[in-house]
Amino acid sequence: MDKSLHVVLMYLLVHLGLIFFLYPNDIISSSDEGQWMPIAIGLLFHFVLVWIYMKGLSFFPKQNIIHIYSEMGKGFATFFLLPVFMYLMLVNVIGVRAYSEIITIIFLSNTPSWAIIILFLSISGYLAAKGLEVIFRTGILLALIFIPIIFFVLIATFQNVDWNYLLPLIDDDFHFMTTPSYMKSFSAFIGGFLFLGFIAPYLTYNRKKVLMAATLLIPFFVFAVYIPILTFGHGTASRFLFPYIMAVDSTYINWLMFDRVTMFFILSLVTFIMLHLSLLLWMAYQIMNHWFPHQPLYSILSFTIVTFITSIMIIDWKAVERLLWWNSFLQFYVLLTIPLSIYFIGRRRKGRA
Amino acid sequence: MDPFIKELKEKFVHSDDLFLHEEEILDVPVLLVGFKSLIDFTKTKVTLQKYIDTAISSQKTIGELLNEIGEVKEKDLEEAVSSIMTGKLLIISNSHRKYAVIEPFHNMLNRAIEPPTNENILQGSLSSFNEDIKTNIGLIRKQINASNIRAEFFSVGSEQKTKLSMLYFEGQADKKLVEKIRSSFEKNQDREINNLQNLAKSLGFSGWSVISKVNTTELPSETVAFLRKGRVALFVDRYPFALILPCFLWDMFTLENDRNYPIPLMASIRLVRIFGILISLLIPALYVALVAVNPEVLRIELALSIAQSREAIPYPALVEILLMLIILELIIEASVRLPSSIGPTITMVGGIILGQAVVEAKLVSTLLIIILAATTIANSTLVGIQNSLAVRLFKYVLVILASIYGVLGILGGIVLISAYLASIETFGISYLNLNYAKEGTKNG
Repeated sequence: MDKSLHVVLMYLLVHLGLIFFLYPNDIISSSDEGQWMPIAIGLLFHFVLVWIYMKGLSFFPKQNIIHIYSEMGKGFATFFLLPVFMYLMLVNVIGVRAYSEIITIIFLSNTPSWAIIILFLSISGYLAAKGLEVIFRTGILLALIFIPIIFFVLIATFQNVDWNYLLPLIDDDFHFMTTPSYMKSFSAFIGGFLFLGFIAPYLTYNRKKVLMAATLLIPFFVFAVYIPILTFGHGTASRFLFPYIMAVDSTYINWLMFDRVTMFFILSLVTFIMLHLSLLLWMAYQIMNHWFPHQPLYSILSFTIVTFITSIMIIDWKAVERLLWWNSFLQFYVLLTIPLSIYFIGRRRKGRA
Repeated sequence: MDPFIKELKEKFVHSDDLFLHEEEILDVPVLLVGFKSLIDFTKTKVTLQKYIDTAISSQKTIGELLNEIGEVKEKDLEEAVSSIMTGKLLIISNSHRKYAVIEPFHNMLNRAIEPPTNENILQGSLSSFNEDIKTNIGLIRKQINASNIRAEFFSVGSEQKTKLSMLYFEGQADKKLVEKIRSSFEKNQDREINNLQNLAKSLGFSGWSVISKVNTTELPSETVAFLRKGRVALFVDRYPFALILPCFLWDMFTLENDRNYPIPLMASIRLVRIFGILISLLIPALYVALVAVNPEVLRIELALSIAQSREAIPYPALVEILLMLIILELIIEASVRLPSSIGPTITMVGGIILGQAVVEAKLVSTLLIIILAATTIANSTLVGIQNSLAVRLFKYVLVILASIYGVLGILGGIVLISAYLASIETFGISYLNLNYAKEGTKNG
């Protein structure tokens, strides 16, 4: 059955969760002026990779990437799937740890982060154990409840914008390409679409609609960076760890009973992240299940316990940043090889047939 | 005495409402057997006499007469007992080895068709179901004049038989769904159905689901609307409700009767119900979160005034709200339990406690009273009592999570509840389905 709406909404939610936290700081600190250029290059990567990935997958209707690789042989499958599995687990650990840290930094300063990690993992573990379709349906409910809040806050943040900060428009030396923070910013550009290759036998989707969803995301990618810059100027914005959240914090809405709309904004995004985490856990289970067939409950329980222990061992924000940096290499490797290899396997098979 | 009659007597020993009336029909001595409590004997006898008179004039034998007015059967004790139990009149002749089962005049043991007692309706048809399964199906047939409506009967239970009936629109309802329901009743033929939990077991549902998987309504007009959308309605004898399968989240917010208003009014009424679920779920949890964990979210003036109203209160917000919520649940439960003549007393006493005394005694803050009132009122806007009970329960999950994690806990709780709702499936149909009617027609 065609479930494009489910897939499109999930695509949006996953990316919205990624865009507003770390990514603005990465872009702002990578370039002093003309930030639209790094954004445009990142988006180009995003579109090209998503297109190649979906094109490649379209050669194999009703098959996910695990089926595709295992058809090519056992060694082949392990060669590609092992890094994916490691990447999924690492992203899971980093995600849980980073967002619990962000929540502690921003407003729950008295709550120990292990308590927040438990909440994250138990909810996303519960969701993951319920299976893919439940995750996607939950996505629809969450989108209905929280997207209005996100839009409201997004519009409200234009309150303090000074358009003069838009200039200078051109960064002519492209030095941002070589900065580590630009590398890290790619986790927002390319970190969210891997799930498209896992859902095949359960849900099918229309490729065009997913590309449209990706187009819808462009303004969010742009605003997340430009709103803090236009509010504070580049010099100030680059000093904040979470520039966009600071920009939201600086808004004042006369008629609202709440002083910090930030909290509702961040937490709405956090629910999307919980959804993303459950999707990651489920994908990891799928790979594990391919190697050793078993019930989802066992592996998801053990994944959450492993994630909990590892993320407890990460002591502070510095360590999180270091992990993010290491992860960006694995991420590039996985998210370049998977779409390209799927594409070429598909082309070759089509050529033979 | 005939051994058959002796056995029959033994079977119904100490059943003093059983009558064994000796009579002569066409000069043959017979025994009329049945329950006084179920049969209107005088009326039945008068009618019987009329048949006998015509039989005399047309010179029929007793065998012919009995064949005409009832069903003649071989002497089988089991069958005779079950016929008597269901309120039939037995005519047993000593000389023949047969008995006749006759449909007598019954005592009036059913309610008349009355306005609904559990669901209120504005500007809509008022008749509601009663306990008799045939009356209920008749009401449906009366409500909609369609030839493609199907009513299948089942009789389940090993000791006590319960009559069940399944209604659906041929061509509209999903054939697979109908087949699944039919086969699950046939598979669980021996399971007794005395309540909805039994029925859920029979249909293969878990008894632990918080959300009821069958939607109940006592209005024929609502039932027909469901049938027209491809749903299946089940009737259980002596249960004055139609049970609608499958049940969806959206049913919490919609009544077919809404469509008797113009579209903008309908939309706004439904919007009010959506606000109802959000408010009754979120407001108590927000109170706990904002008072106990994240007061900085509130505007400073508001935060101060809340703090002022809670100044002399000796315990944390969670205890405060749980205390009052439980009292409120007790009031609701008590007003259901009490006879309607003393029901208002509870309202009054509850009103005094909640309205003034608790606040003046500095046991809870004034704001909390407002929140509790809003929660209870909002909760009652949902369609279907089983749904508002479920939401009442979910509220506590959010309150407890909010007391630990603040606003994060509330949002986490919402994800949890959404995930729970998303995971509910009835015969493979998701609870969150929005356009079931369209898909149903496609499959049917």
